Amino acid sequence: MRIVISSSSGEPIYEQIKKQIVSQIASGALSPGEALPSIRFTAKELGVGIITVKRAYDDLCAGGWCYSAQGKGVFVSPRKTEAEKKFYEELKERLRDIASYAAESGVGADKLIDILNEIKGE
Amino acid sequence: MNALEIKNLTVDFGDFAIRNLNLDIKKGCVTGLVGRNGAGKSTLIKTIMRQQQATGSILYDGKKFCEHEVEILCETACVFDSPHFTLNAKPKTLKRAFAALYPAFNCDMYDELCAKFALPQDKRISKFSLGMQRKLCIIFALCQSPELLILDEPTSGIDPVDRAEIVTLLQNFMLDENHTILFSTHITEDLDKIADYIVMLDRGRVLLDEDKITLTESYRLVQAPELKEELRAAAIGIRESAFGYTFLTRLPVEGEGLAVTTPTVEQIFIHLSGEAAQR
Repeated sequence: MRIVISSSSGEPIYEQIKKQIVSQIASGALSPGEALPSIRFTAKELGVGIITVKRAYDDLCAGGWCYSAQGKGVFVSPRKTEAEKKFYEELKERLRDIASYAAESGVGADKLIDILNEIKGE
Repeated sequence: MNALEIKNLTVDFGDFAIRNLNLDIKKGCVTGLVGRNGAGKSTLIKTIMRQQQATGSILYDGKKFCEHEVEILCETACVFDSPHFTLNAKPKTLKRAFAALYPAFNCDMYDELCAKFALPQDKRISKFSLGMQRKLCIIFALCQSPELLILDEPTSGIDPVDRAEIVTLLQNFMLDENHTILFSTHITEDLDKIADYIVMLDRGRVLLDEDKITLTESYRLVQAPELKEELRAAAIGIRESAFGYTFLTRLPVEGEGLAVTTPTVEQIFIHLSGEAAQR
């Protein structure tokens, strides 16, 4: 992992760390399943605060780039294939249609989940 | 989890006092204590280290001092504003004394760090420069293998090269997630680098207690050629120069000729202290 920090860029340091890790995941320099260095180690090596690195790692996890395994650390998420990505996009599109159709009659997301569970039970 | 829980702490010197101070120091984090001269930083640190009488309560990692005195004293190391051992001694003598006093004293680490910072072992400490004395104090505190490390102005009087080394030493100490650092400083550059939480003291009160990201992101530093009424209402700690105004604000402001930036801890400190002094 390679990270450079610019203190004059005006961009928050956690954002700089996050972006550089994202670009290394995207380029394949960091492989799926690979562990990121521990938060404390990264903070020490970069000479920044612990919560700064924690914030970057939390954002990476929230964005789906990484996942955190309790007590083990943070790992690069498995990469979705193009086919998988396409499937999820289509699924999302259809669900969006259903959601807006339901909303017209005042049926919210909670009710939709109930209905899905009902279907599963049949 | 809190390394320290300070409740209703009151220290009364007559003309100066800490009154009903409440403060939690988070475990596993670095907390920087800032404040002007006489704000109460050293008094607070001395009180935590039981060198100063006070009323109120302090819990150490959830434990009461009176019930776990030895344990707490072994797990807490402090670098005071001046050396708390005799300057007539030589480091090698002190090392033996520390090793006898603290069961966890790390002699190997001590030798290694003294070699790294070129601190002679056979010379009276009184002959050391102030910077060398400071470094020796920090080394003794680190080698005590504490869980909680408290430092009063650890980097004052130390040149930039050694300061960077000391900051790295402190970050090394923080690799263990059970370790906590509380340090007071005037050198806010060090805070900008490694502090996770910032506590600002002003005349014995907590002016501010916030994590560094939230702190720097909740303020904007604005430079304006003139101060219109709507700006004045939102401005904190206005400083005037011949050519314009500089102030902090919590509100999003924009406009022709305004320079808006994210402030450093030092800039927040200067403007908030200025605002507090006016009140």
